[in-house]
Amino acid sequence: MRYLLQRFVQFLIVFVVVTFIVLAATRIGSSDPLRDLAGGQVNQERLEEVAADYPYLDKPLVIQYGYWMTDIVTGDWGYSYYQSQSVMDMFKQRAPATFFIVFWALVIGLLIALPVGIYSAYRRDRIFDKATSLSTFATISMPSLVVAVLLLYAVAARTDLFPTVGGSNYVAPWDNPYEHFKNFFLPALTLGVGIGGVWSRLLRADMVLTLQSDFVTLAKAKGISPMRILWVHALRASVLSLITSVALQLGALISGSIIAEQFFGPRGLGDRLVFAIQQNDLLTLQAIAVVIVAVVVVANLAVDLLYAVVDPRIRAARALT
Amino acid sequence: MSADRLSVRHDDGEPLLQVAELRTHFRTPRGMVRAVDGVTFTLERGKALGVVGESGSGKTVLARTVMGLLPKRNVNTSGSVRFGGVEMLGLPQRQMRELWGTEMAMVFQDPMSSLNPLMKVGKQITEPLRFHMGMGKSDSIATAERLLRDVRIPEPRRRLNQYPHELSGGMRQRVMIAIALACGPNLLFADEPTTALDVTVQSQILDLIAEQRRDRNMAVILVTHDLGVVANYTDEIAVMYAGRLVEKAPTRTLFSNMKMPYTKALLRSIPKLNLPSHTRLDTIPGRPPDLVHPPRGCRFAPRCANARDRCTEEEPPLLAADSDDHTYACWYPVGSPEYREREEQLKRLDDRRVLAAEEAG
Ligand SMILES: Nc1ncnc2c1ncn2[C@@H]1O[C@H](COP(=O)(O)OP(=O)(O)OP(=O)(O)O)[C@@H](O)[C@H]1O
Ligand code: SF4
Ligand SMILES: [Mg+2]
Repeated sequence: MRYLLQRFVQFLIVFVVVTFIVLAATRIGSSDPLRDLAGGQVNQERLEEVAADYPYLDKPLVIQYGYWMTDIVTGDWGYSYYQSQSVMDMFKQRAPATFFIVFWALVIGLLIALPVGIYSAYRRDRIFDKATSLSTFATISMPSLVVAVLLLYAVAARTDLFPTVGGSNYVAPWDNPYEHFKNFFLPALTLGVGIGGVWSRLLRADMVLTLQSDFVTLAKAKGISPMRILWVHALRASVLSLITSVALQLGALISGSIIAEQFFGPRGLGDRLVFAIQQNDLLTLQAIAVVIVAVVVVANLAVDLLYAVVDPRIRAARALT
Repeated sequence: MSADRLSVRHDDGEPLLQVAELRTHFRTPRGMVRAVDGVTFTLERGKALGVVGESGSGKTVLARTVMGLLPKRNVNTSGSVRFGGVEMLGLPQRQMRELWGTEMAMVFQDPMSSLNPLMKVGKQITEPLRFHMGMGKSDSIATAERLLRDVRIPEPRRRLNQYPHELSGGMRQRVMIAIALACGPNLLFADEPTTALDVTVQSQILDLIAEQRRDRNMAVILVTHDLGVVANYTDEIAVMYAGRLVEKAPTRTLFSNMKMPYTKALLRSIPKLNLPSHTRLDTIPGRPPDLVHPPRGCRFAPRCANARDRCTEEEPPLLAADSDDHTYACWYPVGSPEYREREEQLKRLDDRRVLAAEEAG
């Protein structure tokens, strides 16, 4: 319990520091925060209205942070005059698409990484290993932008199956699974293939070591099947770096989805973010940034907990502290 | 299963295990490591064979090759391993799997690294019962509990739900033995089962293995670098040096009439019980030879106090001593005129040294 509390506090500190940097960055990037909050070219009346909403803008940054974070945490994300919408409404509309791109990319990445990583370690230096090593190298070195363009030409443009540029609106999987699949398959594939390659290699490296350990030989000597040895014994002992990488790459996946959204299908937070940057739409910018930071921090906290689930020795050591 | 089911025989006069001219060579960047280099022996049902030799003499590689557990990567094996009349060398893993656990099992040296640290003890024991023998879940749990009781683990039911790191070293080794016994094998390899344990626990574990061997009429191959250990627990002893068997005899014969100077040197290097563990009285001078370029002639010659010209030129064959079941490979064995002559010389040298020391002091 104490360990958990410690970790929680640590992650909270990280969250506060990073979000503080976010706030500071937007303040540095804006010569006139009040005007940017009000919506750019607006009249004096509006400026005064907004100034009344944000009376703390001339206070020191630390004080501003306090007010701002209180607003964020209580769900009062403000009204974006650029987008003519409350930031929260915009977020509710757009976040699901980004979420599902990232989610499916993660699923595809793992669906690639688990079998490829496991089997190429099992058949080290044989044809399967060499072939996958070459292809994962290719996908890793290819930016997802290039993958997106390739998929666009190779698949989306030639068939009517998938939407292309500027495609479609978000469809929830529970409303229409088929439409959902059509919308999300290509963008998720774009990101999933690259990340799957990275994870395959990571898992392969750890599996190779695990497969040389005595307990794997003992499992073999017990006469249980190779599949069970690989998936039950060896995999579990080899997933810690993979889990860590999943959490670390989450931020990269989210920013990747912002690119992928520009090419295919469902419009998520991506184009709102791009738009917000162009317009200096501080409210939208800050809100999206905070959410991404929160997601990454929570994911890392979750990984920390998963460690203990995977390895009883870690559990025991933590119980002592 | 189908026509390719192995027909291991446990009835007629067929010996349980026949190993002939077995060679295991590792391809390494340094060259070919001849870890096992022409080993021949036979093991009868229910008997215990001790395999003794210094560290690096190839005992583990021998055991793993016989059991078929070595990874195929960069390994050349040749010779013959017949188990119950069936040639096992070169069998695909799929077929070896039929024998693992049920016909032969292994207890490893280090119980910490050999048990899966992430799996509860109970599951590690029930696993072969369920996924190899097709036993039901509750049956397998009951069997596991009985096995833990057999290997004298207190509170077996509670242990089933513990992880290896929650057990002491001796307890872990008992769990390993329970796992090895689970499917009722006819041959048990125990590869230095006690080196990682406290001296007090060592004999308990060896007693346990001996007891289970009697109860189950199971053959045992007990691998160790300690001649003293095997004395009380084996019917026969095979001495290994640099990948080869250099002497083999029934245990009593070996101790009363050892022929190889190497065996004699090994015996002198036995740690005595009243000393702290792992202190050696008299380690064999020099180091075991490089297995990539083993010396010509007798491989022990560079370290043998008794070596003569012939030893470095011609390799001594494995010959029968007075009794048929005692074989050794040495040109000038213990007790031969040449050996005695050299012994005298060394003794005189020693006496002179002592004298000189006394005069000086
Ligand atoms: N996979 C391998 N590749 C190359 N050489 C190996 C390999 N496995 C073992 N060897 C070499 O084979 C020789 C015999 O090793 P082995 O482990 O059988 O010795 P041992 O008699 O069991 O020694 P110990 O008492 O230390 O366990 C050693 O020189 C070792 O370095
Ligand atoms: S053959 Fe020669 S060198 Fe080898 S053990 Fe016998 S006496 Fe020593
Ligand atoms: Mg060994």
